[in-house]
Amino acid sequence: MKIAFASTGDGWNEKMDDRFGRAKGFFIYDTENETTKYLDNSNNNDMSHGAGTSAAKSIVDEGVKILVSAKVGPKAAEVLKVASVKIYNGLDNGILEEVYREYQNNGLEMQV
Amino acid sequence: MKEIVVLSGKGGTGKTSILAALGAIAGKEAIVADCDVDAANMHLLYNPKIETSVEFMSGKVATIDESKCNGCGNCSNVCRFDAIKIVDGVYTVDEVNCEGCSLCSHMCPENAIIMETQKIGHWFTSKSKFKNWFVYAKLGIAQENSGKLVSKVKSVARSLAKEEKVEYILIDGPPGIGCPAISSITGANHVLIVTEATNSGKHDLVRLIGIINHFNIHASCIINKADLNEEAAKEIEEVCTQNKINIIEKIPFTQSFTNALENKVTLAEYDDYELNNKINKIWTELKNKEEK
Repeated sequence: MKIAFASTGDGWNEKMDDRFGRAKGFFIYDTENETTKYLDNSNNNDMSHGAGTSAAKSIVDEGVKILVSAKVGPKAAEVLKVASVKIYNGLDNGILEEVYREYQNNGLEMQV
Repeated sequence: MKEIVVLSGKGGTGKTSILAALGAIAGKEAIVADCDVDAANMHLLYNPKIETSVEFMSGKVATIDESKCNGCGNCSNVCRFDAIKIVDGVYTVDEVNCEGCSLCSHMCPENAIIMETQKIGHWFTSKSKFKNWFVYAKLGIAQENSGKLVSKVKSVARSLAKEEKVEYILIDGPPGIGCPAISSITGANHVLIVTEATNSGKHDLVRLIGIINHFNIHASCIINKADLNEEAAKEIEEVCTQNKINIIEKIPFTQSFTNALENKVTLAEYDDYELNNKINKIWTELKNKEEK
């Protein structure tokens, strides 16, 4: 299963981004293969409008099932819902590694 | 650092007048950012001295390479915005009408249409006459505000606040509830709603509250022109109560808003004792809220 973090950079030591659609990138961890991948989001960040839905599409295209992010906007949330992606709130300025640990301990709040 | 965004849903409720006055009272305590870039006008009241000016690139516009064009007219036929017409015998893009959708460039059999990123305006950091930092932007003719520009202005304000150790960021948000408004809410600590006692004021307030609830952000409300329509004012109060939004002030209709604007001063500087008091009270209230 793939879990994605709205992130300010590539690596477990990076911080959570405080935006979803215009996040710097997405750090994706595949729990089965234990591999990581960084998805640069600058293309979506550069859009005048519709950054959220485009970022949601990128997440869905990657086959991500869990997203940890700052609050996702209403339209993007709709896209993710249709694709059965579960969304959790990250920790403010949290380091990805800590945030993931928190997720494993069921410590993250689900976004409605 | 605390970020307070002023939003209204409906335009013309007095949002910018109130925010400009709050920024004037706050002085060095706050950085003020004008994210209502479609109608950026706070600089008229703030008399800013510009410190940095940076070009802003966003969106795309089509350009036709004449040497490749075979004159088939596909581009002109598919354009939903009537932006491609024959001028002096060649297909030419009207840059004002072009929305940058790229459909023409996909439909061109000769690959003669290039989509180029546009310079749409500038953003500025400046020092206002109230000695605080003021971040704002200006757009070129026929350009529109966007979530991207709002997020740029906000991020500049945030880094300034960090560098200069300023506690508050006051943001004049765009009207409506679309992309720019959502972008202005993202990451904010508090939304101050300025509505007016009219049916359209209430209607747009309800839509705005929908967005605020979605993002789960604390909000409070000011009813401006509260005596215009008492029934609407009552309904607004009910909506706010249902959504647990505190009404921190009601301001009766007053000519002072327009008079102050005509004199190029904020409400805080304008000679209306009662209104000055109310604005001061709002700022104190907002600060107390954030401390709680």
